[in-house]
Amino acid sequence: MAHSTPNTLRKTRTPKSKISRVSRKKDLAAWLLMLPSLALFAFFVWEPLLETVHMSFYKVKGVTLENFVGLKNYLTVLKHPVFAKALPNTIMYTVWSLVIGFFVPILIAALITETVHLKGLFRVGVYFPNIIPGIAALLILTYFFGSGDTGVLNILLNKIGLGPLPWLTNARWTIPLIVLAMTWKSAGSTALIYMAGIAGINPEMYEAATLDGANPLQRFFFITLPCIFNLGKTMLIMQIIAVFQILYEPLMMTNGGPNNASISLMQLVYRFAFEEYKYAQAAALSVMICLILIVLTAVYFKVAKTTDNE
Amino acid sequence: MSFFTKYRDKADGSIRHYDMHTPGVRVAAVIIFIACLVIVTIALFPVFWVFLSSFKTIAEFRNSNRILPLAFDWSGWAETWNNLKFGTNYINSFVSVGGGVVCAVLFNGLLAYVLGVLRPRGSKVVFMLVMWSMLIPPTTSFVALFLNIQRVGLTGSFIPLWLSMGANAFWVILFKEFFESLPRDYIEAAELDGCSSLGIFTRIVLPLSKPILIVVAIFAVTAAWSDFLLPFLVLNGSGKETVMVKLFSFRTNIRCTDVDILRAVVFAIIPPAIIFALFQKQITDGVAAGGIKG
Repeated sequence: MAHSTPNTLRKTRTPKSKISRVSRKKDLAAWLLMLPSLALFAFFVWEPLLETVHMSFYKVKGVTLENFVGLKNYLTVLKHPVFAKALPNTIMYTVWSLVIGFFVPILIAALITETVHLKGLFRVGVYFPNIIPGIAALLILTYFFGSGDTGVLNILLNKIGLGPLPWLTNARWTIPLIVLAMTWKSAGSTALIYMAGIAGINPEMYEAATLDGANPLQRFFFITLPCIFNLGKTMLIMQIIAVFQILYEPLMMTNGGPNNASISLMQLVYRFAFEEYKYAQAAALSVMICLILIVLTAVYFKVAKTTDNE
Repeated sequence: MSFFTKYRDKADGSIRHYDMHTPGVRVAAVIIFIACLVIVTIALFPVFWVFLSSFKTIAEFRNSNRILPLAFDWSGWAETWNNLKFGTNYINSFVSVGGGVVCAVLFNGLLAYVLGVLRPRGSKVVFMLVMWSMLIPPTTSFVALFLNIQRVGLTGSFIPLWLSMGANAFWVILFKEFFESLPRDYIEAAELDGCSSLGIFTRIVLPLSKPILIVVAIFAVTAAWSDFLLPFLVLNGSGKETVMVKLFSFRTNIRCTDVDILRAVVFAIIPPAIIFALFQKQITDGVAAGGIKG
């Protein structure tokens, strides 16, 4: 390469060597400008990711890597009794979030779109839970789902003559209730995105449908819904990716209980790393979660592509 | 009557003003309106509940099923504020948020400016790397990140929290899209006048980008205020605990009463609520726009 390039380089550069030098100087200045930002990305995002992968193959003592152990950390995690609960739990979180969390924002957006009164209040109102810091929101909801007579929902049930329910302490309800809590917190912002999507639909389509005699319900099913279908697909995969990493909700509301019934994979990472200080196992589990998410993302892109082509 | 005549202004969605002649649609419109009222009540009730409960005394909270407090007595707030030394946590949070916002705007903005406007050779590779980092779950690497921070000796300091706000791929993309839409003429004119790249950024690009600056700044304020995992790992036990770290510690702290916790929750909600009240439109528009582009 070193032998062949000088000729061609000189040929292209001789007439504009001055410009080229200026543009090279400009390129250098540009790189210098973004260097600090790149350093931050390297420190906070890229290097930790590589470090996690690296660490997952080593025996770690304290914070120093000792010796290469191959897949041993991975096997330890896979055989860990809590992992056998955390994996199905995480899948259940995702499934429940599809049942509850995916449709609620679409419903909210459709309803608010179809009304003309107090629209500003509705938009701001449904978005408000989003601005509550996550920890604060989860503390509030913990009181709502409190078992016994002091839980807010039980107080409300009592007023209409129904008995107290166990809520989060019932192992079967824990995951759906936590998903409900997440939905309460975040549905509003997704709904705003859908509302913007619906508002952007070409009005001529509605006019044409009306001339063809479609009633409002038919217009909703044959125009509104299909037009936000692609947006919905994007929201769906983003939701799956987000819910798969669920951590704060079980950590704050149940601490994974009762009896690990609500522990998620990320919470197991948290336990390994910051409660048991088993960094290598935490890293191995992180890598596995990351791989699952990459596969999910790849599947999504494939699905999105094939449906677009049809 | 006016309930239905207002539908004349409706320009989106399935129901239009001419449908209002059909009785069935009229009934549906009323039902939809009531459904919206129910939804907004569900969304806001927990907030009202925590606000009202924060005025109760602990005995009242435990023994009464009423939603309204007996009296709106602010002395309970003052007591919790002083007992929990919330003033310190507030100041810590403000320091953390202030530095975080500066870093968020400066570093993400500069990177977006280079990637979107200057475009030096090789910048496409950098953009790809930034995009890819959006696909990688951020929580995957927090163990290694925490160990890194420990290694460089920055635990117990605000610096890693500030700087961490400067590496956000989503904000880089928001900035980049906005910068790319700016008229090239202004930038070229400044170039001809011999303005340096950095000068163009500070004197031309930033003043023209107020809308996106406000959006990213608001996102950064709420993100920095609400963030707790990294602040907890970095600051816990250092005396620099932010409000969220304090709230997180209630999980294990049994010395506070329920009412103390509820008041602390109210204290934690007030600053973002004020920001939301001031910048409502920018926030809701920013969410909608960001979602559609992302």
